[in-house]
Amino acid sequence: MTRRSLRDNPKRELWLAWGATVFFYNLYAVVFFLFTHIQPPGQPWYSPDQASTWFTEHHHGLGIGLALIFVFGGLSATSIALITYSIRRMSVSRAFSYSYLIIYSVSAVPGFLFICVALTAGIMRPERSPQLQHWLYQLGFLSFSGTMGVFLIGSLIWMCAILLDGNRVFPKWFGYLNLCNALTEVVVSPSWIFKTGVFPWNGLIAWWIDVVIFGIYTGVFITLLRSMIIREDFGTGPLPAVPAWRFWQSPVETAP
Amino acid sequence: MRARPHRGHSLGHIGTLDLVETLLTVVRKDASLRRVPSSGERIIFWTLPAVAVIWLAAFFLFPGFVRPMSPRASATEVATFYREHTARIRYSMILLNWFCVALIPLLMLVVERMRGMAHRTPILRFCVIGVAGAAPIAFLTTTVFWLLAAFQPERAPELTQLLNDLGWVTFTCGVPFLVAQSGFLALAIHFDRQEQPVFPRWVAHFNLVIGLALIPAAFAGLTKTGVFAWDGLVSFWVKNVAIAIWIIVMSIVVGHAVESDHAAGAEAVA
Repeated sequence: MTRRSLRDNPKRELWLAWGATVFFYNLYAVVFFLFTHIQPPGQPWYSPDQASTWFTEHHHGLGIGLALIFVFGGLSATSIALITYSIRRMSVSRAFSYSYLIIYSVSAVPGFLFICVALTAGIMRPERSPQLQHWLYQLGFLSFSGTMGVFLIGSLIWMCAILLDGNRVFPKWFGYLNLCNALTEVVVSPSWIFKTGVFPWNGLIAWWIDVVIFGIYTGVFITLLRSMIIREDFGTGPLPAVPAWRFWQSPVETAP
Repeated sequence: MRARPHRGHSLGHIGTLDLVETLLTVVRKDASLRRVPSSGERIIFWTLPAVAVIWLAAFFLFPGFVRPMSPRASATEVATFYREHTARIRYSMILLNWFCVALIPLLMLVVERMRGMAHRTPILRFCVIGVAGAAPIAFLTTTVFWLLAAFQPERAPELTQLLNDLGWVTFTCGVPFLVAQSGFLALAIHFDRQEQPVFPRWVAHFNLVIGLALIPAAFAGLTKTGVFAWDGLVSFWVKNVAIAIWIIVMSIVVGHAVESDHAAGAEAVA
């Protein structure tokens, strides 16, 4: 996209927010899976000594990866803003959109800042007593997996708005996918109780199934937000239907 | 409300009921201006100097800021520090705990100004709202860690050091929301292409510079020595001076915008 076309494009704010959303989720995946090895998560049953060794083994990856999150973490607001906008575009009360905005905004501190702070404190002093390193390890993983309510209620609000909407901003099936995402927050709750089996924070149910659903959900909503931006006519009525051939067109060509 | 006889202007003669009625008259008068969107914003704005004084006082009261605490200090040294300065740590952190969220009303004045920008969508406004709450809450969390360390300074030194570390890491590295906020504002002002932009153009560049100045602090966890350490030049001084300058400059810029909006609103009502 040329500079001029971006300046003249009435959807420039929407496209920039969308681009930032794509960047943020890609960075998140790279940092958490490749740099820091926070995902898949460490073992919940680790002894203090093993937790201490985990910090030593991942020292450099954790340091650089978490610093990148400390720099770019605020970009999470762009997807929240876009989703808030999508709900405002629906034929439902703005109460839904503002609820989503507030709920997801407050989720940032327990949802990702806590794990970054706890694990950074862990790598700063490898000589710290293993008992305390163990505590930081658990604080990190449990705050990350165990911040549940905000995503549970937030997804349900988005779901309700989509199912009630008469402006066909999103397909109805995506409303039910929100329910799936909300349910992942229910099944992750036993991670506060179990250390072994399928329920702990790295278990088959609490992690593997959840992360697959969350991955699909995120990919789908990023694609559907793109479709919404392409179809946006800045009116208040139903969004125009999207012909299959337009769906993959570049944003500039479809801008009014 | 029943009309009361006039009893003169001397405050000494005014009873409680008269005082209430006088206040109600002011409120009623204000109610006639209810449709002025900037109504009441001056009150929010003029709380800022008081908040700034409290912040500065708390900043200098906390002995860990005047000469930033070293990340190289041993557990015993950290514990001794908390034992020797217990009262000052408690009082300064209680003050900051009370008033760190007082930045949010200033940010909301900015958000309200953003309504007047030549944007096609409220996306950037939502982005700023999205990060406005998180930065003060991160700072609030910091005060909790330091207060907890000072609550029982005689506990095992390693525990005090752990709480102190958590406080400093949150305080120093907890910049993502401020970085994003500066970026969103810079973009919003840049896109505000109209004859009379809401904020002058240099404010966009200013926000960009402040955002960049905050970034190095994110790397404070990687080292305990040098300029990137939490007591180092860029992670402590550059970051905190940048935040202070941002608050002062944005307060002045927003103050001007609020005044001109207020004047325009009053004119429209008249």
